Amino acid sequence: MSALKRVQQWATFARIWHIYDATWQNPFKSAEVVKKFLMGLYKPIYHPLNDCGDHVIIINSGEIALPGDEWKKRVYFHHTGYPGGASWTLAWELHTKDPTMILKKAIYNSMDGNLQRRHTMQRLHIFPDANVPKSLLDNVSNQIRQLRPVPTRLDRYTAEEVASYPKLIDYPKDYIIR
Amino acid sequence: MSNSHLFLKPAFITTPGQNGVGRYFCQLQRVVLKFCKNNGSSRGMREFIENKLIDFVKETPEVAVYMKPRRHRTPIIRAEYLNGDTQWVNARNFTEDEILKWLQLLKTQSSDKTGIRLRKLLHTDHPSVQGPWTPYTFRDPKLNLAEFPSPELAGPHVVETTATEELLEMYKNQQIEDVNEKRAE
Repeated sequence: MSALKRVQQWATFARIWHIYDATWQNPFKSAEVVKKFLMGLYKPIYHPLNDCGDHVIIINSGEIALPGDEWKKRVYFHHTGYPGGASWTLAWELHTKDPTMILKKAIYNSMDGNLQRRHTMQRLHIFPDANVPKSLLDNVSNQIRQLRPVPTRLDRYTAEEVASYPKLIDYPKDYIIR
Repeated sequence: MSNSHLFLKPAFITTPGQNGVGRYFCQLQRVVLKFCKNNGSSRGMREFIENKLIDFVKETPEVAVYMKPRRHRTPIIRAEYLNGDTQWVNARNFTEDEILKWLQLLKTQSSDKTGIRLRKLLHTDHPSVQGPWTPYTFRDPKLNLAEFPSPELAGPHVVETTATEELLEMYKNQQIEDVNEKRAE
């Protein structure tokens, strides 16, 4: 193999680092997107037997948004293996214990259960907030687009912006805002 | 299902030294026809030697044809190629036409093709002019200078404007119209 071909091979199979902001995103829909990058499914060279998966850094996993009343209704099951070792944890409980766990489990469950899955998960780096070690962040060369736009919350606007915002109607003088 | 293909050696279509591009070299070097002078299984071979061998040799002067009579044994065709391959064809009870066909095949092929399985029916040394795909082909150049995580690259591609944005746009236009009217007065 010539030097040129060797470099060509390295370039084709180069691992890319992606970053994904999970703020206000549905973790289960996001898992389907992130999975494609983790496994390298988007690459034209993809084959189940070739090792072409990428690294994905997920930031702000503490800010994920579950649809509907899933915070209260979704249950995570665990069994220690001993009699009476079963436990059921609600999504909000799990999220308070570990803000990365829901997203991690969503991505893990979105992939087929084969021998490659645990190795693929090793390439996933989830952080509950935006504090990512610089050594990881230096590798990043692509950003995965979010599924939904993140609206600015009212309390994040400044008082001036709120005051100068155009109004359709004025409340009457005697209107009581509860 | 048959597993006989497991014993075949997988190979690609090849040609020695771009044979046939510009010039052609017959890759068959030598043919030995082994036959018996009395046995019935060699009858077709004997007839071939009597009737058609001279024509064959005149057509293909680049191939050396040897004949080897041997008693009471099956006739065979042994072909040797320029790359060192030796192919052995059992010619038992072959007619003269069949032997001629086999010799034509041996003459036109570039090496011993038995015992191999073609992995693909097509092969090229240069599969792509553009070069193989890399993660950097078709990549947006603005990503080269972007700082990650970047708020511009975070959100989804939204083409449509929202009702709120349209209202704000209308409000802005209204303000400008008001200013213009005041100036006109």
